[in-house]
Amino acid sequence: MATVKVSEAEKVYILHGIRDDLRVDGRSCEDYRHMEVETDVVSNTDGSARVSLGHTAVLVGIKAEIGKPRPLVPDEGYLEFFVDCSANATPEFEGRGGEELGIELSNTLYRVFNNKNSIDLKGLCISAGEHCWVLYVDVLLLQCDGNLYDAISVAIKAALFNTKIPRVHMSSDDEGGKEVELSDDPFDCVRLSVENVPCIVTLCKVGHRHVVDATLQEKACSVASLIIAVTHRGTVTCVKKVGGGSLDPESIFEMTEAGKRVGKALHAPLMKLLQQEESLGKKREKVGFLG
Amino acid sequence: MLKSKTFVKKTRAGGVMKIVREHYLRDDIWCGSEACRECKQESTVLQADACIESNLCPYPHYVVPDTNVVLHQIDVLEDPVIRNVIILQTVLQEVRHRSAPVYKRLKDMIQAKEKLVYTFTNEHHRETYIEREQGESANDRNDRAIRVAVKWYSQHLKADGLKVVLLTDDQGNKEKAEENSLVVYKFDEYVKNLTANPELVDRLALSKDDKAEIISSKVLFPEHLPLSKIQSGIKSGTFLQGTFKASRDNYLEATVFVQGDGAESTEVLIQGLQNLNRAVHQDVVAVQLLPRNQWVSPSSVVLQDDGAAKDDDMDEDEEEKALRISAAEAAGKPTGKIVGIIKRNWRPFCGMLNVSQIKESTRHLFTPADRRIPRIRIETRQASTLVGQRIMVAIDGWPKNSRYPNGHFVRSLGSAGEKGTEEAVLLLEHDVPHQAFSQNVLSFLPKMPWGITPEDMVKRQDLRHLTVCSVDPPGCTDIDDALHCRELENGNLEVGVHIADVSHFIRPGNALDKEAANRGTTVYLCGKRIDMVPELLSSNLCSLRSNVERLAFSCIWEMNHNAEILKTQFTKSVINSKASLTYAEAQMRIDDTNKKDDITESLRGLNKLAKILKRKRIENGALTLSSLEVRFHIDSETHDPIDLQTKELMETNSMVEEFMLLANISVAQKIYDEFPDCALLRKHPAPPPSNYDILLKAAKSMNVEIHTDSAKALADSLDVAKVDGFSYFNTLLRILATRCMMQAVYFCSGMDSDFHHYGLASPIYTHFTSPIRRYADIIVHRLLAVAIGADITYPDLMDKHKQSALCNNLNYRHKMSQYAQRASVAFHTQLFFKSRGILNEEGFVLFVRKNAIIVLIPKFGLEGTVFFDSKDKAGPSLVFDEEGPTLKVEQTTFHIFDKVKVTISLDDSNIQHQKIRMALTEPVIPGVSVAAPDVEPQAKKPKVDH
Amino acid sequence: MAGLELLSDQGYRLDGRKATELRKVQARMGVFAQADGSAYLEQGNTKALAVVYGPHEIRGARSRALHDRAIINCQYSMATFSTAERKRRPHGDRKSTEMSLHLKQTFEAAVLTQLYPRSQIDIYVKILQSDGGNYSVCVNAATLAVIDAGIPMRDYVCACTVGFVDETSLADLCYAEESGGVSSLALALLPRGGQIALVQMDARLHQDHLDTLIEAAMTACKGVSKVLDQVVRQHLQEGSTLRE
Repeated sequence: MATVKVSEAEKVYILHGIRDDLRVDGRSCEDYRHMEVETDVVSNTDGSARVSLGHTAVLVGIKAEIGKPRPLVPDEGYLEFFVDCSANATPEFEGRGGEELGIELSNTLYRVFNNKNSIDLKGLCISAGEHCWVLYVDVLLLQCDGNLYDAISVAIKAALFNTKIPRVHMSSDDEGGKEVELSDDPFDCVRLSVENVPCIVTLCKVGHRHVVDATLQEKACSVASLIIAVTHRGTVTCVKKVGGGSLDPESIFEMTEAGKRVGKALHAPLMKLLQQEESLGKKREKVGFLG
Repeated sequence: MLKSKTFVKKTRAGGVMKIVREHYLRDDIWCGSEACRECKQESTVLQADACIESNLCPYPHYVVPDTNVVLHQIDVLEDPVIRNVIILQTVLQEVRHRSAPVYKRLKDMIQAKEKLVYTFTNEHHRETYIEREQGESANDRNDRAIRVAVKWYSQHLKADGLKVVLLTDDQGNKEKAEENSLVVYKFDEYVKNLTANPELVDRLALSKDDKAEIISSKVLFPEHLPLSKIQSGIKSGTFLQGTFKASRDNYLEATVFVQGDGAESTEVLIQGLQNLNRAVHQDVVAVQLLPRNQWVSPSSVVLQDDGAAKDDDMDEDEEEKALRISAAEAAGKPTGKIVGIIKRNWRPFCGMLNVSQIKESTRHLFTPADRRIPRIRIETRQASTLVGQRIMVAIDGWPKNSRYPNGHFVRSLGSAGEKGTEEAVLLLEHDVPHQAFSQNVLSFLPKMPWGITPEDMVKRQDLRHLTVCSVDPPGCTDIDDALHCRELENGNLEVGVHIADVSHFIRPGNALDKEAANRGTTVYLCGKRIDMVPELLSSNLCSLRSNVERLAFSCIWEMNHNAEILKTQFTKSVINSKASLTYAEAQMRIDDTNKKDDITESLRGLNKLAKILKRKRIENGALTLSSLEVRFHIDSETHDPIDLQTKELMETNSMVEEFMLLANISVAQKIYDEFPDCALLRKHPAPPPSNYDILLKAAKSMNVEIHTDSAKALADSLDVAKVDGFSYFNTLLRILATRCMMQAVYFCSGMDSDFHHYGLASPIYTHFTSPIRRYADIIVHRLLAVAIGADITYPDLMDKHKQSALCNNLNYRHKMSQYAQRASVAFHTQLFFKSRGILNEEGFVLFVRKNAIIVLIPKFGLEGTVFFDSKDKAGPSLVFDEEGPTLKVEQTTFHIFDKVKVTISLDDSNIQHQKIRMALTEPVIPGVSVAAPDVEPQAKKPKVDH
Repeated sequence: MAGLELLSDQGYRLDGRKATELRKVQARMGVFAQADGSAYLEQGNTKALAVVYGPHEIRGARSRALHDRAIINCQYSMATFSTAERKRRPHGDRKSTEMSLHLKQTFEAAVLTQLYPRSQIDIYVKILQSDGGNYSVCVNAATLAVIDAGIPMRDYVCACTVGFVDETSLADLCYAEESGGVSSLALALLPRGGQIALVQMDARLHQDHLDTLIEAAMTACKGVSKVLDQVVRQHLQEGSTLRE
């Protein structure tokens, strides 16, 4: 992540502002920056979404492939996550520079999203023990300006919403051999229910208060943050502390409550936007990176 | 220029891949009509006044056939009557995917200017492109695309007074088109109302409704598996893919040739109608192996499907039973059954009609000339005129409840038995391109009068002063080689082989070159030659006739008197041959000690060296094998054969041959050194040891031992193989040895590692010396010219894959031309015997089969089969011993090499397969042998030998 | 089944273009705020993002610095979802290392590096979607990004992939053409002087055809340069109107 150097005087200014619920860019503590979401931006994926949050920009592409179910859960498909911290985002990521962060991010995402409460994994199974869909969720970091988790989670939810998996059926021949057969009709595809897919809210402890969607400067003033995965009903599915400092139990409780509130409020406009885009269908003019 | 996208999904290796391709739509695609004033096209194809005599569409119109009409009715569409056709891109693409041969014909049709066929790129036209809709199948989408394009055309051309007629046999498509108020007809409806050519109706392929009528409901064959299942089966190894080769001798038997990895390949035997399951010769099929205990061995029984129109009754059981019994005796070969057809390789077949016994019937069975092709049921109203004619028929389909495939009449070739007709049949059946050269091809010929220009001389040596002469068979007009020999000042000899410089006239890539590459070789039939290159070249400009200046490609050696090569030089040259001699004339000059002129001295020098060369070659293990070649003396008036003799070889024959071999070897080495990756060479693989089995067995029966470890061992043991009192034995043995050999083939040096020429015992070989009649030689000339800097190269010459593909074609053409040649000899032999009546001749047993012996008559170089069983009556007892092999008929046992006497007559009971019938007269076997005819008194003399 | 027919008798390619026609090129400069220069470019379905950082101090080993000019540091990578079959790694394989090197060579020929001695210019290019001509699209995108960063260049560097089939040169190959057995050639051109910054060809082609193919590539590159020029002018216009 691009490092920013913040002077002591700046730090004090930021801290005081947050204490008074007025942040440097004019937001209050629980406000997000301007967010843009667009789906179906990479035509050769099965689902994709582009999200920008402030200057943070991520692109998520999902490809569905046929694989073998995990032995412990033979009747479920699964998701795989890969986060590509590309050098585009910052020269520090050049070569293998982004690998560590990438692994940390993808492991967290796997925990948050790959479970049957958020996604109908059974629906991804084609034939128990033999074939299932594996959704490769590939996240591409294009620019880092803080609050990666939130931006990524929104992009993943949007991309999952956009995902169209070709419909397949099992055909069996005389010898008992089974073969996966693809539907002949390109329109014949399965959509995923993203109702229970959570969004991640990162809360940054700055001074005695906490803020959502911290900028890099704010982050530099914070001791530690807490990431909370929240569904549209306000159910918390995952809590994780990240960062070097420590948090007392009380503030964790407070932050969780705030996270629930913010997360719940995040889902509604997102789903509205996604549905709106969907209803436009082919008529929608794609903007992508050209806008 | 607008743009949109199509999304295609594909699976590969079990996975699913989403493939996205761009698809641009254009507004600069024109309609191709002369009448149109809207389109800004530079040239047009379709006429403004597009009229055809029709009861149905008397107005000017263009026709648009849909995919199935093109696929099934191409024979009718090709007729010159049908013009002003629009082929949509959608149709063209579908045809391309579904049938390569039809696609090729369609493309030829589009290119033929007089056919007036316009290809409309509707898929990229802004107003005719449509996207597939939800729930719509790919076929429905294409049908809709066709309708949209027709609609566009009708509106586009409305103002110009032209209509557009959609032709489809699909009822659903037709109804939808009518809803859109398009002019639409079924294809047969349209064709039947054409007053211009009523015969076209016969060429219509049967539509589905017609088929349903004919065939019984009884299902005779197992269902073919769908392609997807076949593919997965082949992948998993349950099925094998291969080319289906029907047996010539037994219609219930076939082999499937399965190409394995690398050089490995296997043959799977298929027996019985059910297992053959409607596969036709040359189809690519999927086979399933039967369990090992059901494996059989190929039967030696000769079975022909010549029952009268048996039609759909399966009373083949008895024959099949016979087959089984005879087959079960020996250990089995891999045996299987056909489960599906991967690719049909149907082409129009030559043959004759068996007219139905029912007078009014329009359905008749057609018997192809090629016995490997099943009989075909066709529908025609002109049966009475077609009887006795050779006709061509195409197969349309073979439903599972029909004993025979269904087809339709294509065209008539003429009366059976007439020489012209039979020659046409022969050429068609052997796929020999024999049409007259097109204007396009002829346009690349040099302009007459032709002369050598100074530019021609730049890279040439002037050898006009040399005493060059040519030696060829009598009547030869395409002389491609000439020779000279002279003594040098240092006492050595200079020998030159001069080959016609055909590559000077045929430049790479033009129509003339492509035509020659396709033809591959000149085909020599009895009394007829089908040229590879137009006559102006073959018999004039490239023919090294005497006393004219000709361009040549020369290979000149300096040799000592022991015929050792001291120096080799290749050069393009100009020569002036001093004499065109026949073998006999040359022989006479050499033998005539009074002659001392330059030509004769040159010939003597050559002859002397040739003898040394030949001796050396034989010492190296080159094989001299025999095959009896037959020549006909053809009556100059009637062109019928009046006498027949086997070819006689003279010393001068082998003199020319030796130098040609030497030139070929020298050139092969040179081009290989220069282009190790793309030299065109010729190899002759050593036969696998099992090929020699029959030869070894035969020799052993006469207590002669043959060694086959190497070519040299074989040559040596053949030389000493003699049996007292049986002078013809050695020749017979050599004939047998010839049959053991592999076919020599052209190949590209970059694609193979084994270059050896077994028969000539040369490590490397090519063809350089007959560019007028072999295309391989032209390529070799070009390579050599580049190697010596006399010519420039071009891309395809250096592309080993393209060259390899060319070699495949040349090998195929070469093989077919040999077959055609043999067939032509056979036909003339029949003509000969037709006029001779029944003859009684002496012959030798060449092979022994389970129910027959094959007899060679040395006098005529004729081979024939003497059958011992017949269908109508109980045959004699036959005991076949494979070890001998011997066949015991009643009390008489036949071995290979047995001397027998047979009567020879022409059996023209089946006009299509006129054949030479041989019947045994000696040894006498009661009930089997026949009495010798009285015509020839010497046959009556009792003869007792061996 | 028959393979693809790359050029129909009517002269249309698989996607409906004529032999010399380019795909639709669309581009935007200044996509990202944090980088010194950035650009996004689509050429048909091949889409690339280029980002430029610098000129800045040498990162890492100072010994790499050149006393008379700037070093150009390139990294080429592909999004894992950019190809039809998912890639396992975005970069680091042989192909992308080679591609990085080619980009470096191309831009060393174009950027006036002597203006920035002892410094470094980073050019990072990411393929978001791949449909043939990856190298060319990267070069074109990177050119715009370098211009966006305000780094002086001799000229635009324009690249195009061309192929040869049936005696015809095809401009700007798409993936189906590249993989369909066309001998392809990639060429980067500095159009004003007609200088070739990079030319690369892996396939087998007869020497006689090379001139026509290079000629076709140069024509195609000039076509690309027109589009790039337009993009740059429009970008500058927008920028100046905003500032007013």
